[in-house]
Amino acid sequence: MEIALAVPPDAVFIVLTTITLLAAILALQAKELIYGAIALGISFIGIAGLFILLDAPYLAMLQIAIYVGAVVVLILFTIMLVRREVGEEVVERGERGEGAAGLWIAGLLAVSIAGLAALAGPNLASTPPAGVLSVSELGPVLVTDYPVPLVILALLLSAALLGALMLAKVER
Amino acid sequence: MVALVSYIIVSAALLGIGIYGLSVKRNAIRILFAVEIIVNAANINFAAFTRYLNPPNVSGQVIVFYSIAASAMEAAVGLALILVAFRVNSSIDVRKMDKLKG
Amino acid sequence: MVNVPTTPADILPFIISIITSHTFITLVIFPGMIHLMLASAFLTWYERKLLARIQLRIGPLYAGGPGGILQPVADGVKLIFKEVIIPYKADRTLFTWIPLVLIFLGTLPFAVIPFGMNWVIANLDVGLVFVFATTSVFPSMIIIFAWASNSKYPFIGGLRSLFQQVAYEIPMWISALSVVMLAGSLNLVDIVKAQSKIWFIIPAFLSFIVFFICIMAELERLPFDLPEAEPELVAGWYTEASGAIFMALFLALYLKLYMMSTLTTVLFLGGWWGPSFLPQPVWTIIKTMAVATAIIIPRAIYPRIRVDMLIKIGWTRLLIIALANVFITLLVINSGVLSAWGL
Repeated sequence: MEIALAVPPDAVFIVLTTITLLAAILALQAKELIYGAIALGISFIGIAGLFILLDAPYLAMLQIAIYVGAVVVLILFTIMLVRREVGEEVVERGERGEGAAGLWIAGLLAVSIAGLAALAGPNLASTPPAGVLSVSELGPVLVTDYPVPLVILALLLSAALLGALMLAKVER
Repeated sequence: MVALVSYIIVSAALLGIGIYGLSVKRNAIRILFAVEIIVNAANINFAAFTRYLNPPNVSGQVIVFYSIAASAMEAAVGLALILVAFRVNSSIDVRKMDKLKG
Repeated sequence: MVNVPTTPADILPFIISIITSHTFITLVIFPGMIHLMLASAFLTWYERKLLARIQLRIGPLYAGGPGGILQPVADGVKLIFKEVIIPYKADRTLFTWIPLVLIFLGTLPFAVIPFGMNWVIANLDVGLVFVFATTSVFPSMIIIFAWASNSKYPFIGGLRSLFQQVAYEIPMWISALSVVMLAGSLNLVDIVKAQSKIWFIIPAFLSFIVFFICIMAELERLPFDLPEAEPELVAGWYTEASGAIFMALFLALYLKLYMMSTLTTVLFLGGWWGPSFLPQPVWTIIKTMAVATAIIIPRAIYPRIRVDMLIKIGWTRLLIIALANVFITLLVINSGVLSAWGL
């Protein structure tokens, strides 16, 4: 399915990237955990937008449904359960050495990204090849070529469900 | 059109943000945020390479599908663990979770 | 955009060409914003009239027009003038923004729901998954709003609402899976086109029943009314909403009702197919109003379900029936019984 955009895809890409990165930083730096969880949700929606730009609409919907619809809900629920008293707000101060660590990582990241863009940039594709990845191909490929991971995924899901249930159960 | 390098740069930036959160933060739930951000960075990487392969191949999307499901599971179990740790230590500060007993 | 006007004399034809273009009409007028706002307001009046007639009352009568049909306008004006009370130490930003986000989420699925062969805003190949993805964001908004109210009753109501909506989403998705199997596509336009000879309610009757029960639970309507149980929780998770915030929430809730009814019509009742003396969108709206009536009527009739029975029904009974129905549909399709109708 070809996505027809009225604006050039570069502009959409830059907007989505900015939203995603800013929201990810905000998720870690926000004073209150709940704001962080909401920012994380916005970051996930930005990533879903990037999936749509990459011609993977089914993955984008799955990302929104699973991450924003389930993982963020779980996180919010856990945040509400680990408050010490009702009404006390857990406001966090920054940790020691946070700024220095952030600068180090940003520096390393900048160097590695510059190196990547310089060395590998010319060798990587700059326009996507023509051809459409349709959703109706994903199902048959999943079941025909990768049936074993599918079954293992199902078993893992049931194991995770039982495990989370057993862990969070309150012994009376 | 957007070059493949741009998507890899986005993925690397998200990875950097996730590593920062993982190494500096002391609140267990923020560390979980960082882990989710890192997994999403990897997903973007896979999806970008899937699209820019010549000819387009849908197997990369299978990997992302699997990764989204597996990471949701891991978030659920991780949050259950945080709940248990909170009950034992009365705090979600990871610097206080340094005893093997209990 | 083509033909960008270069001289001032070009601007008026340009604007007229935008206004009469199909995209603009579907986006703003017909299944777009104006129609949705009118439909949501109309549904509030419709519900009150219907419940009143069942309970041998009259309902809204004096607001103006025949039968008090301007009552929603009167309600809107009244609510705008009311004072918005934000509780002590409540989170102001979240409190005021979440209802607007809920309206946005309520209108978003309409971008893919077709009201006629050409009356769809975006013909997405993954339309059905888009609708389910956007409806699964609702519970997180509800719990954020309930937390932001900083008060006990909304919080308990919000948690109950969260449990209920999350539990009943899964049988809803699985029973829609049998429709996808019958139609062979996730595209809502294709699903309706595949119902041209037979409505899917007939081969997939069991999944229609499961889907209908699940949307009543998603909409928090009686008999699944526990998050809003008036004697216990005042009004559940939106207790602290007042004035314009309440109006926005109310609009969002009735938009969600309209969206679920339209989704049922498109998935099970044949969408726009009907005898051709009426245009296609009119058939969709007639069927949608029939489904909305069927959702509203139990509110006047049934008692409320207890919370443990609610969770048990959602996670065990409905899930098993929905899963069994997927297998039954698979058998029915493979046995070729439905080939007379092209399925």
